[in-house]
Amino acid sequence: MVGHGMTGMLGEDGIHVDMNHLKKGEVNLGTSIMAINFKDGVILGADSRTTTGAYIANRVTDKLTQVHDTIWCCRSGSAADTQAVADIVSYHLNMYSITNNEAPSTQVAAALFQELCYENKDMLSAGIIIAGYDPRHGGQVYSIPLGGSLHKQPYSIGGSGSTYIYGYCDANWKENMTEEEGIQFVRSSLQEAIKWDGSSGGVIRMVVLTAKGAQRHLYLPDTGYTGPGLTN
Amino acid sequence: MATLLNQPQSEAIGYSFTQTTSVPNKEHSFYPYTDNGGSTLGISGSDFAILAGDTRSVAGYNINSRYVPKVFKIGGDDETGEGAHIILSVVGFAADGQALKERLDAVVKMYKYQHGKSMSVGACAQRLSTILYQKRFFPYYVHAILAGLDEDGRGALYSYDPVGSYEREQCRAAGSAASLIMPFLDNQVNFKNQYIPGSGEGHALEPKKAEPLARKTVEQLVRDAFTSAVERHIEVGDGLQMLVVTSAGIEEIYYPLKKD
Amino acid sequence: MAGFDFSNYNRNAALHAKGVPLPKATSTGTTIVGCIYDNGVVIAADTRATSGPIVADKNCEKLHYIAPKIWCAGAGTAADTEFTTALISSNVELHSLSTGRPPRVITCMTMLKQHLFRYQGHIGAYLVVAGVDPTGVGLFTVHAHGSTDKLPYVTMGSGSLAAMSVFESMWKPQLNRDEAVALCAEAIKAGIFNDLGSGSNVDVCVIQKDKPTELLRNYIKPNERGQKERNYRFPRGTTAYLNQKIISKEDMRKYVSVEEASGDPNLMEVDI
Repeated sequence: MVGHGMTGMLGEDGIHVDMNHLKKGEVNLGTSIMAINFKDGVILGADSRTTTGAYIANRVTDKLTQVHDTIWCCRSGSAADTQAVADIVSYHLNMYSITNNEAPSTQVAAALFQELCYENKDMLSAGIIIAGYDPRHGGQVYSIPLGGSLHKQPYSIGGSGSTYIYGYCDANWKENMTEEEGIQFVRSSLQEAIKWDGSSGGVIRMVVLTAKGAQRHLYLPDTGYTGPGLTN
Repeated sequence: MATLLNQPQSEAIGYSFTQTTSVPNKEHSFYPYTDNGGSTLGISGSDFAILAGDTRSVAGYNINSRYVPKVFKIGGDDETGEGAHIILSVVGFAADGQALKERLDAVVKMYKYQHGKSMSVGACAQRLSTILYQKRFFPYYVHAILAGLDEDGRGALYSYDPVGSYEREQCRAAGSAASLIMPFLDNQVNFKNQYIPGSGEGHALEPKKAEPLARKTVEQLVRDAFTSAVERHIEVGDGLQMLVVTSAGIEEIYYPLKKD
Repeated sequence: MAGFDFSNYNRNAALHAKGVPLPKATSTGTTIVGCIYDNGVVIAADTRATSGPIVADKNCEKLHYIAPKIWCAGAGTAADTEFTTALISSNVELHSLSTGRPPRVITCMTMLKQHLFRYQGHIGAYLVVAGVDPTGVGLFTVHAHGSTDKLPYVTMGSGSLAAMSVFESMWKPQLNRDEAVALCAEAIKAGIFNDLGSGSNVDVCVIQKDKPTELLRNYIKPNERGQKERNYRFPRGTTAYLNQKIISKEDMRKYVSVEEASGDPNLMEVDI
């Protein structure tokens, strides 16, 4: 594209990409997001704060995005980039289910996300967690951090607020939790992340993905994130 | 082209990007000045002088206050400025303006205590120049205008650059809308670009001669200048403060301006 | 689709590297807002356009037509909001013609975000998209980089903080038409008086189900120009000249058609 010694987003060594940059005035999801496996499926959770610098551009953002019936993702990083990536994946999964007459697996969705995030790593600031339920594999959680690598994990946390809750999550994590326990784990973890991270805040949104489909939860700060719970 | 480039003229424009010096790495360091916007203007007449300024103080796109005076009485007997016969307007960095006003006010007061007589406007003008130049390498970031009556009772007006270069003038506009107001003043006070109709042909046409204006006319010109500046400059507005020096003393007039 | 012409890119990059500043675009340092109500949506804008600290236009239009029941309020670079909305308006109409259905707000919002994302923020258009369609009422913000938000009340532009403070203290669910219009106008006024980038008048657009869209141009004019105290008419002959040539109307009639203007032809704009 442009020659003339312009390095794009490469650092001084010409090798490493500067990931910590957002274009001027870009909307940032300085975020706390997570997704976990539990006995019957997966739970995704996120705060609801979107910022431009110090200003909260949206205090009730929905960072949990549906890309197929029971495949959802948590978005962190640039709002524009993650929305664009999710829209493209959503389109491909729709086409996949039509041409194959079968719902895509969570792994297919995660691989699509990785393809986009890895091949365009120099243009994107996107940290995405994918979680889904499919009848063959049950619940699965995948994480794609900044460089575009793909990791299958029992649970995953992400965004600026996640740094504060690595210890908390590690100490409290259990395999094969019940739905009740899983929701409680996500809720209390995000509550802690919101408490310490200035770029996270607002409400806590959750999506529970099981054989029964997707179910949304909402927890408000004015009740100490204890209610109202189920929203559909 | 030199004015466009901000660089030595000899350096021709090429397509080489090898010299990294042409785009210097911006160093982040403390910058102690801010531009608080606003505008001032002064006009002298045969037996009076007027200084005027809007009362808005800004920082970026924000309004700090809708009433921060830019025009001050200098060397009064008390905090109200009673007994003063010199006025000063300052526009630019408000903190430096405030500091400069305090300095000059103290100097003029001390002069009266030490010499038993009021400081003349000419002496005060010279002293202000010295105060400004003393900070040649860390200047008061202001455009000051000083006014009063001279020894003959005529209106006297002195305008300054931030480091003390000064000049006596008929009229002067300063601050963010100076470039809008000054040409208006040139035309309406000194009658620049106005000729006497039918006084000659071609080069023989006689220019309209400037003569001292009546106080009422000057006040009208000042108000018209500011109501117009408010229309086209975003940093000017809220209120217009005028100080008029005559042999009877100093009169203050406030006039509201648009607040958008 | 035709795109942008990049033939001057290298030249401009070279000039910029030498320290020549970029030409200044007219930016609508702006306040724009939107708010949904019962069965419709209101958007509003101030009317000041600036170029640096100078007011470029005292009464510009920032509410743009997309479709009869979809309108857009624009902030950012004036040219970008103008051309982007015009382009999407055109594409929305073609889309509606080819599908045989009325256009949807979400379609328009998606076209805008994909267009803006493609240009990575270089098209400086910050938009509030609003309208009603068969699916209901829609209200979105679209940022220059291509991100979107869906909210019951929104603000954008340099005056967005002042305007949002009005919404956050006075908004309530289930507003009616008049309340929504009044609230939006109040939010714009907060921008006009507290943000230097915004000023002059309030424009409002009301889009409602089963009713024609109302564009309330200059709905409120809180900043009328004051009377001049002096008369600035110059006597004829004030301006110097070295020679003159008079072309009569009869001479001009040989080349163009000449019509008599109504009113006194000697009056200037300042006299009216």
